[in-house]
Amino acid sequence: MPTEPVPQGPTPATAAPEGPTAPTRRTFIATGTAVGTTVVAGGVLGTGLLPGSEAAAAASAPSSRLSLTVNGTRHTVTVDNRTSLLDLLREHLGLTGSKKGCDAGACGACTVLVDGRRQNACLTLAVRMEGAEVTTIEGLADGDQLHALQQAFIDQDAFQCGYCTPGQILSGVACIQEGHTRSPEEIAEWMSGNICRCGCYPKIVSAVQQAAGKK
Amino acid sequence: MSPQPQAAVGAPLSRVDGRLKVTGQARYAAEHDVDGTVHAVIIDASIGRGRITAIDTRQAEAQPGVLRVLHHRNAPKLPYRDNTASNNPPGERLRVFQDDKVLFHGQPVAVVIATTLEAAQHGARLVKVRYQTEQPDTDLTDATPDKPTTYARGDAEAALRKAPVRLDLSYRTARNHHNPMEPHATIARWEGGKLTVWDKTQWVVGTQTELAAVFGLPLDSVRVISPYVGGAFGTGLRCWPHTIVAALAARVTKRPVKLVLSRRQMYFGNGFRPAYAYRLRLGSDRRGRLTAALHEMDGETSSYETFTEAIMTPGQMLYSTPNVKQAYRTVPLDVNTPIWMRGPGFANASYVIESAIDELAHTIGIDPIELRRRNEPAEDESSGLPFSTRRLRECYTIGAREFGWHRRSHKPRSRREGDWLIGMGMAAGVYDTARATAQARVRLDADGTATVEAATSDMGPGTYTSQTQVAADALGLTMRTVTFRLGDSLYPPTPPHGGSMTMASVGSAVLDGCNRVRNNAIKLATEDRQSPLHGADPNDIVVRGGRLHVKNNPARGETYRALLTRNKSTHLEALGNFTGPEGTPRHSFFAYNATFAEVAVDATLGLVRVRRMLGVYDAGRIISPKLAQSQAIGGMVGGIGTALLEHSVTDPRDGRTVNANLADYLIPVNADVPDIQAIYLDGEDREADPLGVKGLGEVVHVGVAPAIANAVFNATGRRIRQLPITADALL
Repeated sequence: MPTEPVPQGPTPATAAPEGPTAPTRRTFIATGTAVGTTVVAGGVLGTGLLPGSEAAAAASAPSSRLSLTVNGTRHTVTVDNRTSLLDLLREHLGLTGSKKGCDAGACGACTVLVDGRRQNACLTLAVRMEGAEVTTIEGLADGDQLHALQQAFIDQDAFQCGYCTPGQILSGVACIQEGHTRSPEEIAEWMSGNICRCGCYPKIVSAVQQAAGKK
Repeated sequence: MSPQPQAAVGAPLSRVDGRLKVTGQARYAAEHDVDGTVHAVIIDASIGRGRITAIDTRQAEAQPGVLRVLHHRNAPKLPYRDNTASNNPPGERLRVFQDDKVLFHGQPVAVVIATTLEAAQHGARLVKVRYQTEQPDTDLTDATPDKPTTYARGDAEAALRKAPVRLDLSYRTARNHHNPMEPHATIARWEGGKLTVWDKTQWVVGTQTELAAVFGLPLDSVRVISPYVGGAFGTGLRCWPHTIVAALAARVTKRPVKLVLSRRQMYFGNGFRPAYAYRLRLGSDRRGRLTAALHEMDGETSSYETFTEAIMTPGQMLYSTPNVKQAYRTVPLDVNTPIWMRGPGFANASYVIESAIDELAHTIGIDPIELRRRNEPAEDESSGLPFSTRRLRECYTIGAREFGWHRRSHKPRSRREGDWLIGMGMAAGVYDTARATAQARVRLDADGTATVEAATSDMGPGTYTSQTQVAADALGLTMRTVTFRLGDSLYPPTPPHGGSMTMASVGSAVLDGCNRVRNNAIKLATEDRQSPLHGADPNDIVVRGGRLHVKNNPARGETYRALLTRNKSTHLEALGNFTGPEGTPRHSFFAYNATFAEVAVDATLGLVRVRRMLGVYDAGRIISPKLAQSQAIGGMVGGIGTALLEHSVTDPRDGRTVNANLADYLIPVNADVPDIQAIYLDGEDREADPLGVKGLGEVVHVGVAPAIANAVFNATGRRIRQLPITADALL
């Protein structure tokens, strides 16, 4: 079962079937994804983050240019086709509020809203986000005014270490919008895609109830 | 404690770092913005034991963006000096890229450094490593154990032979992984000969000493920064190989390097709670009074280090037992070295002892709480010392009342609701009250605000908040005028943030430093002719809201601000100190709990659902009740995982962890967790430490798994002497 982007084969210590000339599965996917988009060398990202020669080298990996809106701000970026939405946010846009817990869609720490729906940013290729409206934890408050669910998380002490918290909150915002708050059991069920290892679950349910106006 | 009024301590306050955490502004290890950072990805061994015979890096190095591939053939030799000021267990620690030996599946064998994460990840796939493989030892019960550590009082074997009631029980507990939500991560940067590391750790001081030892640096050439830790539960208690790899990669490439372990690498890149095989023989009289206990426990360790934990302690002091014999053997396996995990040792021992006590109660036909009461010791029988505080009886009484224990049927499998068999169980929990030397720097500025610094950590319990509470009251300031800083090796040293000792140790140092500053201010005022407090008895002066005044005459006083400004003093500063326990101990120090669980077991499918839980705690003074509630609930949720879900499974062919991901290593999710209540007994432990606390983080987890296991027995009549209790075991 694939669990992460860098799987090491379990046993074949010497196996490496792809020769240098054969397309690897990864480059195949990358090339395939790039079809239909404009590939621009040396984009905003490369020049912004890397010294000259390295930027050129990095840019020679298959890349795509796309525009998306994050927390109300429009970004036009050139990304390596292999980049996930999560890595675009964390490593390129400086929005580290979205967390990488498993990079495999199993923990929910990377949950963001894409066009209003909750989505695992680690399982989403950035190049698929053309035209998308993305909301991360950094975009939830209105200036100094916290979103009701952010305040509820503080009031209910619905977190300890805080690492799953952004994903829990965005999942909770969607849970409320979806109307899955009719009972604590229903909230628990619909919040079960977000793992909290500190074990704050009952308080997360209370926080969602509070923000939904039911507590 | 303190002559100061206690306004913040004991109040149910919200976290001071709450806003940062709910807005995504709290920066964890991999999130620090370090200019020019490049990315590293570790390639780990795909065999369980053997040697590396060849590494081909050409294809990886030809990838755009790949800067270097480091491995044992090209990495610089490192000093790896001994480090006694660390949590490294006895043995030879793993030396990254220093030779061709593979000691366990997942050992780092190379690292790819690239300008982008994508290039590093892709490059790591293209490195070809050849091995000469050997068959690894992976099974605790097949491998050869080390010599035992033993303990004895009385003649346990003779007493067992004579006992009218005897039990001979064998238990197995699974290997558990901490699985904090934040994976381990390091950013390393060299500036000349100086190394700065942003790291996920529970002990910046320990990581600092280890980096200095490995790279042969003076201690002050290494700085470790770790302001936020996304959970750890013990996995951050020692400096792991990947932190060395990151620093090495940064040194070779002359670039800051960021290295984040993948979730899969979290199953061998850092430690785990070792599996145990534990045989317990109990002898008692017909009324259930214990006469003999013989404990034989075998626990996993690695082939290169001998990891031990306090698994022998509960069997020596929890119940009155005149004759006790124990043998604890570590069993070296071809695996990475374990590390302490929440309630280390105690959690495993308590599962066994509390399950066996439940069996004994059932065998004799008396209530399990009554059996425990009959074996309540008058003193710590392992040391002969009186307990500083031991209020386990109150925990039983309150817990039984609040949980409705009287509704439990003594006869197993006698309550049914449709397909579900319903049962109730309980267990006692105990954890050692550890304290260690700590320091804290306290600075009161002329504007009436204060800053307190200590090198400690906050992996989630709320160190930021609870230390601010202690400081605010001791200084007589409001919470919002005190800033507590932690997680930097430049701050005064503290012990590891683990073993539930942070509040007792760091908190006592903070209290001492704040008392010194407050007393300095009081002295300044009483000796200052222009102060309204001139000539007053310093012992009569208290500070509230930043204003010093005579205790019984609040009108006579002035603010810190007025006092310092008039005296042209920019600030007052003191180093607070706590030395830990000194001299010969006069008491035995432990925190206790009684944990209750109600489960429903599907009679046909064997599915276990926890329906209710309650924990009642004798943990001394509670500094921060709102956060303590969260700790207790979290400890119980973790216990649901231990009892019913968590099990790292090893493939015996190559030592691989087959379920090294969060989809197959099951931990509780929201829908697994029922109504959970926690009650802390009021009071304090005046002998333990100046704050009167006994520690929370461990004791809330110890005793949870056996309470659930005992409830499963009560529901089904089946004893499953193995954790986790999975559906297949109940079919």
